[in-house]
Amino acid sequence: MVGSNRNRGIRRTVRYALAMILLLVMVYPYLYMVLNSFADWAHIDKQLLPTKYSLKSYEWLFTGGETGIPRPWLHAFLNSVMVSLASTVLMMIFGVMVAYALSKLNFFGRNAINNFVLFHMFFPAIILLIPTFLIIQRVGLYDSYLGLILPKAVSLWAIFMYTNFFKAVPTVFIEAARLDGASDLKIMYKIMLPMSKSITTVIFLFLLMERWTELLWDMIIVKSDRMLTLNVLISQMFGPYGSYPGPLYAASALLTLPIIIMFIIFGKKFQEGMQFSLK
Amino acid sequence: MDHRNNKMGWLFTSPYLLYSLIFFFGPLIWSFFLSVTDWNLIAPTFNLVGIENFANALKSPSVHSAFWVTYKFMIIFVPIVTVLATAVAVLVHGLPRFKSLFLIGFFLPYLSSGVVSSLIAKGLLSYTSPMNVFLRKMGLDIDWLGTPLSALGIVGLILAWKFTGYYALILTSGLESIDKEVYEAAAIDGVTDRQRFWRITLPLLYPSLYTTLILAFGVTFGIFTEVYQLTGGGPNNATNTWQMEIFKQAFTNLQAGYASAVALLASVATFISIFIIRKFLEIWGKRNGWV
Amino acid sequence: MMRKSLGALLLAAVASTMLSACSTGQGSTESSGNGGASGGVTTIEFWAAPNPTQQAYWQEMAKAYESEHSNVKINVSAIKESPTSEASIQSAIAAKSAPTMSENINRGFGAQLADSKALVPLDTLDGFQDIVKERNMNSTIEPWKFADGHQYVLPIYSNAMLFGWRLDVLKELGYNEPPQTYSEIVELTKKLKDKYGDQKYLWAKADLADPTAWKRWFDFYMLYNAASGGNKFIEGSRFTGDRKAGEEVLAFMDDLRKANGLLARQVTDPFENGVGVFTDVGPWTFTTWKEKYPNLKYGDNFALTMPPVPDGMDPKDSKTFADTKGLVIYASATKEQQAAAIDFIKWVYSDAANDAKWFEQTNLPPARDDLKTNDSFKAILDKQPELKPYAENVPNAIPPMDNAKYNDLQTIIGTEAFNKVVKGQISPAEGWANMQKAIEGALQ
Repeated sequence: MVGSNRNRGIRRTVRYALAMILLLVMVYPYLYMVLNSFADWAHIDKQLLPTKYSLKSYEWLFTGGETGIPRPWLHAFLNSVMVSLASTVLMMIFGVMVAYALSKLNFFGRNAINNFVLFHMFFPAIILLIPTFLIIQRVGLYDSYLGLILPKAVSLWAIFMYTNFFKAVPTVFIEAARLDGASDLKIMYKIMLPMSKSITTVIFLFLLMERWTELLWDMIIVKSDRMLTLNVLISQMFGPYGSYPGPLYAASALLTLPIIIMFIIFGKKFQEGMQFSLK
Repeated sequence: MDHRNNKMGWLFTSPYLLYSLIFFFGPLIWSFFLSVTDWNLIAPTFNLVGIENFANALKSPSVHSAFWVTYKFMIIFVPIVTVLATAVAVLVHGLPRFKSLFLIGFFLPYLSSGVVSSLIAKGLLSYTSPMNVFLRKMGLDIDWLGTPLSALGIVGLILAWKFTGYYALILTSGLESIDKEVYEAAAIDGVTDRQRFWRITLPLLYPSLYTTLILAFGVTFGIFTEVYQLTGGGPNNATNTWQMEIFKQAFTNLQAGYASAVALLASVATFISIFIIRKFLEIWGKRNGWV
Repeated sequence: MMRKSLGALLLAAVASTMLSACSTGQGSTESSGNGGASGGVTTIEFWAAPNPTQQAYWQEMAKAYESEHSNVKINVSAIKESPTSEASIQSAIAAKSAPTMSENINRGFGAQLADSKALVPLDTLDGFQDIVKERNMNSTIEPWKFADGHQYVLPIYSNAMLFGWRLDVLKELGYNEPPQTYSEIVELTKKLKDKYGDQKYLWAKADLADPTAWKRWFDFYMLYNAASGGNKFIEGSRFTGDRKAGEEVLAFMDDLRKANGLLARQVTDPFENGVGVFTDVGPWTFTTWKEKYPNLKYGDNFALTMPPVPDGMDPKDSKTFADTKGLVIYASATKEQQAAAIDFIKWVYSDAANDAKWFEQTNLPPARDDLKTNDSFKAILDKQPELKPYAENVPNAIPPMDNAKYNDLQTIIGTEAFNKVVKGQISPAEGWANMQKAIEGALQ
């Protein structure tokens, strides 16, 4: 009995050790990025963990260094925040609306739309890239916030997730509310949303993350400096006129940290939501 | 199905319907049209060329490579990410405490932008990086991004790094749903660890495994950022994905018509592949009696 | 929790509506392609090269011009590189949102744009001849005439691309000056490898194995122009490459590879860090060096030379690639914008001091006939002696092809011949033959 207890203890320790090592390996690239962003320029990419540090990379980022032309990092950062938030919020609102109708309103054509959502979700979006660009250009939204937001204002995935989730909400609640004279909007707001808190966190974070890291569309649609998103700005820095790895790492840290912080804040809720939504 | 429901149903779905009209059907029809023209996006005029774009695309070596590269990425990425995610899930699931802390830690790579992970990979793989200096001391000199196989492997690994935590999360919730009593009963019967994994855990895990596998296969059809930043589709088109090929043709070579034809071919290939993969996974599950 | 996140949602929703409001607001005042003239003020959009020093120069010029001409407003911004400045210009034109004018246009791209009727023939605009005369660029601009007899591009700078050598390393190997012929360089490579093993390479540059079209300008063309005495490679739509010279260049690369002298890998600034001792160097590099590598001093630890030549050729006859780019005005601009644009250029180039400022700030030799005779430039060359060889060798430099398909064609040079030879995947003769076949196919 004692032996098996000790055995168990050892096994547990090994498990923790293994998990810790694996976790370190997975997180190391982030650590590497952050440390290199603070590293002395002569030490970048030369050591596993740089040994000499300076703030030069960040300084360069905001002053433009020798060239004297500061790149619009701050502005690009704000653009990324605004565009991602606006897109995500629209995707959430439309997701809830459409999903409510598809799951709780028995209307003519519902099944057809439901099937179409599935088809649309699995449709290879790449084929639509060029014509979508042309449409955006024809309606005069090239190089504008709306051009960045509107094509990403509806998420099939969000509709799909919410629809499946709402289906599980007992119809009794809704009928009771209707008898009390509640409107559909009120039902959505007062019953559906509060009941789907956990999944809402999951959907919100996933959508935000996806929009935040988008490159292809932003790259095509952005023309002027004032419209740059952070991701596009960073990919611009791999230019032919000499590269600055330090500032690139600094910019990458600026791109990555907000979403990580956000995630850690919502982390617990997110994980619960994941467990819940996957059941 | 009364009048009120009809009205509200259509009203609430109207944002989506409008969206798919503008951003799905519109572009879809337009791209069919583009694919039979030789328009270059900037010239004032263009000609109708029939199926010439399709004929050229079917002959083009870079389109051939785009077709095969997708499956090569599948062979590399899907097993790696599945094994890693399963390992993480099983490992974390067995921890008595700090479970969610670990899960969140493993999930963090999923939050990285492809631009950033590519930059880090570039730094870690540069000729003077500590790893390469070490490997050269061992007598190994590898041109990571300049050799077709290792370039594929590197991109596959970056993707696996990104998705492992995400899939592990899905698998963990699958594990959580397995009834503890089943394990206890098995323990009484004297089942070994290995038997337990193959005979109990895996079958019960199959539904969530199915989800992650479908997701993972789906990923391989949409690879762009990592390839664009790291290899540009090279060396010798070894990492030239569909997205990369379409982007190059449309926005670097300015052949919008031709690129639309390639995109149409890409979507046909994607559709058929995903269909076959789904069927295959379902049959696999049924055969083993997991479904 | 829910209340809080709802608050956040609301905030974001409000922010998004404000965004759309301000984006449409700005859109109407800043739209460039059409309109542009409001209340007597013509607004023109100028796209500068994505090189910060060039951007700074044009911003300064625009401001100076605006202070004298209150009826014109010039917005200077850098061309996006997504993924290249050419691609950005193309998608802007496709989106009917091209600027009024831009710099950074090479001959091939100019031809491509002219073919698609995206450019204004400059010679049809009033004031163009004055610019050519006042800037003293009659013979410089001559080869920029296109097949249809029009001038679409006004060359801004032209510099002879040179090779840099790490003198400090050469001296350690017993050389006082850089070798100039192929066999001498191969020999030097052997000595270098004997001494340093895998610490140092002759030419370390990831681009050597990269098929991207423009990268051939800075390796293949430099060597090829030297070996062939300035052969045209492609004339009109005919391949006229010099097989002997081409094979010699490829064989030279092959020999370097065999001697383990090439490193086509990702390394941060290999020449500057001493991983490579030989590389192409453009004058724009010196600004970056001042900031990142102040230890590099011309004549002290690095030297600049014309490209090496095959054995039996006189190194004095060496030719090189002319890195030359110019300015265009887009056809989508309004008549007022076009007129304002040409007047702006005329104003800039009517004063040689502006070109001197350009030379000083960007280090790129202005494309004019009097670079060596005009006193405005002499002072700069004396102060920055490393710029002298770039200016002096302009007559020995061959500009890039003006074929509209230059992108495809130069990609073929890489994929069929140069990249493969660098990686040891093909013999020089075979590579050249495959390349010729592919180029001839693409030209049809």
